[in-house]
Amino acid sequence: MSSTTIKPKPPKSSKDAKSSKGSKSSSTSKTPTSDDPKQTHKLSLKGSAKMVSEFFDYGINTILFQRGVYPAEDFTYVKKYGLNMLISSDDQVKSYIRRITTQLTRWMLAGKIKKLVVVVTSKDTGEDVERWQFDVSHTKPPTASTSQGAQEKEKGEAEVQAEIQSLFRQITACVTFLPMLDGRCTFNVLVYADGDAEVPMEWGDSEAREINGGEKVVLRSWGTSSHRVETAVSYRVVE
Amino acid sequence: MASVAVQTPVKSHSGLFTTRTAGGRMPLTPSPRARQAGNRNNNKKKEEDQESKAVKNNGSVYGGGNLAVHFAALQISPAGKKRSTSPKSTIARISPIKLDLGVSEWTLTGSGSSKGTGRTPEKQKKKKEPALQSKAPRRAKATIRVIGDRFIPTRSASSPTATSKLDFANVQKGGPQPREGRSRPSSSHSTHSVLAGGAFGTDSLSNPYGTEDDEEVVYPPPNPENLAYQSSVAAACGVKLNTRILAFKPSAPENQKPIDLRSQYNRPVKPVNQAQFRRRILTAPERVLDAPGLVDDYYLNLLDWSSQNCVAIGLERNVYVWNADTGTVTSLLETSPDTYVSSVKWSQDGAYVSVGLGTGDVQIWDVEEGTKLRTMAGHTSRVGVASWNKAFLSTGSRSGAIFNHDVRIAEHKVAELNSHTSEVCGLEWRSDGALLASGGNDNMVNIWDARSLTAPKWQKTNHKAAVKAIAWCPWQMNLLATGGGSYDKHIHFWNSTTGARVNSVDTGSQVTSLRWSLTYKEIVSCHGFPDNQLSVWSYPTLVRHIEIPAHETRVLHSCLSPDGQVLATAASDESLKFWKLFEKKKETASGATSLRDGGKVPMAKQMTIR
Repeated sequence: MSSTTIKPKPPKSSKDAKSSKGSKSSSTSKTPTSDDPKQTHKLSLKGSAKMVSEFFDYGINTILFQRGVYPAEDFTYVKKYGLNMLISSDDQVKSYIRRITTQLTRWMLAGKIKKLVVVVTSKDTGEDVERWQFDVSHTKPPTASTSQGAQEKEKGEAEVQAEIQSLFRQITACVTFLPMLDGRCTFNVLVYADGDAEVPMEWGDSEAREINGGEKVVLRSWGTSSHRVETAVSYRVVE
Repeated sequence: MASVAVQTPVKSHSGLFTTRTAGGRMPLTPSPRARQAGNRNNNKKKEEDQESKAVKNNGSVYGGGNLAVHFAALQISPAGKKRSTSPKSTIARISPIKLDLGVSEWTLTGSGSSKGTGRTPEKQKKKKEPALQSKAPRRAKATIRVIGDRFIPTRSASSPTATSKLDFANVQKGGPQPREGRSRPSSSHSTHSVLAGGAFGTDSLSNPYGTEDDEEVVYPPPNPENLAYQSSVAAACGVKLNTRILAFKPSAPENQKPIDLRSQYNRPVKPVNQAQFRRRILTAPERVLDAPGLVDDYYLNLLDWSSQNCVAIGLERNVYVWNADTGTVTSLLETSPDTYVSSVKWSQDGAYVSVGLGTGDVQIWDVEEGTKLRTMAGHTSRVGVASWNKAFLSTGSRSGAIFNHDVRIAEHKVAELNSHTSEVCGLEWRSDGALLASGGNDNMVNIWDARSLTAPKWQKTNHKAAVKAIAWCPWQMNLLATGGGSYDKHIHFWNSTTGARVNSVDTGSQVTSLRWSLTYKEIVSCHGFPDNQLSVWSYPTLVRHIEIPAHETRVLHSCLSPDGQVLATAASDESLKFWKLFEKKKETASGATSLRDGGKVPMAKQMTIR
C-alpha cells in the first residue's frame, strides 16, 4: 500500500531540487501560462511540507533542550532560522528523533497530519506535565486563475523564516513562566493523523493525553502559502 | 459430477448480483470507491470466469432464471454468509487467485472433455475443492452487500461523527488500521476454512458445508464486523472526521545524568568563542639540551631553576649548572660512587643549592665558589625532595619523615614532621613561609602550619596515587594545586584556609608536576603515559588551553624560569627541553627583558608582599 503512494514522487523530486529555487523568482517575473501556476504551486506545497517537518525536528529538539529532558551538554549549536538552534548530539536521541521525523515527512507530503504533540511526562509520577501542540492546517491552495492573489499570499522565504524565528524565540522565552520540571522527565510524540493514513508498525493509537486542569498558552503561528502551523503549550499548574 | 454443477452456478450468480447492485438496486451504498473495489474484484472474477467458462456454462443458464430466488438462496447460503466476513485484502486476494488459476488450468483442459468422460474419483475431488475456493471470494463480494443491506438502517441513522466514533472505538481496541485489521484475521480465517474444506472435503462434498452450517447458527454478525462495515462506509464516503491519534510507540532514550535546569537557564545564548580569547602558545620547544644519565625515578626531584637564572640538574652522581644567560654549563659536584643525587633545590636567593643524596645526607653548595658549605645528616634513607624557606630547608625522605633544617646553626634539625607513612615526593613551602604542603607515596596531601609542626593542619586523602606535583598559587595565597600519579590522574585544588577542595579535574594521565603561571591565570601540568604531554589549563574554568606532546617518555621534572615565561622539562628520554608557554605580551616584553638582571628584584618583592 505504502509503496504505491510514495513511488510516484521520487521522479519529481529531482526536478524539484533544481527548479525550486528558480520557481520562486520566476513565478513573479514569468507571465503565468496555463500550467505554470499549477506547477509552481505544487512545488511550493511540497517544499512547504518539508519545511514544516523540518520545523518539527527543530521544535522537538528545542523543547527537549529548553525543558531539560536531556542534559544541556548533549546539545550542540546549529545555525538555523537565523538563530543558534540546539540539536541533540546524543546518538540515541538523534536516531529516535530521526525515526519520528522521517515518518512525519512522509505524512506531511501526503498531507495526513492535523497535529503534532510533544508530551513531556514526569518519570517519577508518570504524569503528563506538559503538552506542546502544533496544529497543522492546510490553507486552501489559491486557484490557478487567481495567480495574482497567489503571489500576494506567497510569502518570501525570509518572511517565513522570520516567523519561525520569532516562534522559537517565544518557545525559549516560555521557560520563564512554565513551572519547573522537578525530577527526571521523558517525552512522547503524538500525531493526529487522518484515518486513512498509512501507519507503520512503530506508531500505535493513543489517547489525546491532554493536561487535565492545566493552563494553555497559545504561541505565535507561522505559515507558508500552503501550510499554517499554530503552536500552543499547556502545562500543569502547580498550586 | 452433479455436485459440481450445483456449485458452479452460484459463482455466476454472484456476478449477476454485483451487476444488480451496480444497477442501483442498493441505493444506500453510494460510494464510488466501494463500487470500484467491487469492479476490481469483478474484473478479477471475470478473468477467472473466462478461464473457467466451461465450468460456468451450466451456471449461466441457471443464473438466467429467477434472480430473486437466487438472491434468497444466497442470503440463506451459509457459506456466503460466512465468507462475507472476509473482505479482500491484498493477501486474501492473492492466495485464492493462485488457487483459482490452478483450478482453471484444470478446468480448461478438463472441462470440455470431463463432462462425458468418467474421471477417477481423485481428480473429481480435486476439481471440486478448487471450485469451492474460487467461489468463496465471489460470494463474499456479493454477500457483503447483502449484509450491508441488513445494516443499512443503523448506518443511515448514525451520523458521520457516530461512525467516526465507532471507527475510533475500533481503533482503540488495539486493532490496526480498520481495513487491514478487518481483512487480516478474516482472510486467514477464510483461507483456513478453505483449507479445512479441502482437507475434509475429500470424502464428501457436504462436509465443509456442514461445518459452515454450524457456524450459521450463530448468525448475528459479531461486533467487529459491524464496525468494520461502518469504517468502510465512512472511508467510502470520504468522511475525513475519523482522525486518529497516533503515538510513536518506542520510548524515548533514557538520560543518565540528572539535570538542573537552573544552571541551564544561565547559559549564554551564544556560545562563547573561546578561540578568540585563547592566547597563542608556542608548541615547539625553544631549546633542547641533552641530559644523559637522568635517573628515571618518579619520586626524585632533580631539576630546578634559580632566581639567578641558572638551571641545576642532577644527572646520576653529578649536578650540573646551566647558566641560562650565557648558556655555559659547569659541573658543580660529583658524589661518591656509592650513592647518587636524589634531589636538587636552589635557595630563594639563588646563591646556594641543596643536594639530597641516596644515603640520606643533604649537602649545601655555594654555586659561585663551587664549594660545599656543609653536609646535614639525619635522614635514614634517600632524600627525594627539598624546599627552601629563607634560611630553613625542609627535606622529605623515603622513610616518610620531613625534617626542617636551619642551615645557619650547627644543630640544623629544628623540626621533624611525621605524618607520611611512605616516601615523600612532593614538598613545597608557600611563598610567605607560613604553610608547607607535602605529598607522599601514601597518596596523602598534608598541609602544615609553620607555627605548629607537630601535626598537619589539613590532611587530604582524595588522591588515589602518589602525590608528587604540588604548587601554590602565586596570585591566591590559600590556593594549592596537587596532582596524583598514574592511578589517580586528577588535579585537585584546595583552599588551605578552610581545607576544602575547591576544584578538580581529571587529566587522563599521570600528573608528574604542576606549575602556576606568574603572568596568566593559568597552570601547566606535566604528564606521563600515554602522551607525555604538557597541558596548560586556565583557572578557575579549568579549560585546557593546549596540550603539547612534549617528550618521548614521561615528563619527570619541570621548573619555571624566574621571569615566569619559560618552562623547563626533563624527561627520562634524557633530554631537557625549554618551552615558552607563558610568553609576555609585547608591551610588557620590554620590561621583561630587563627583568633578566634587574627584574628579579621586583618579582621577589611581589612574592614577599604576598
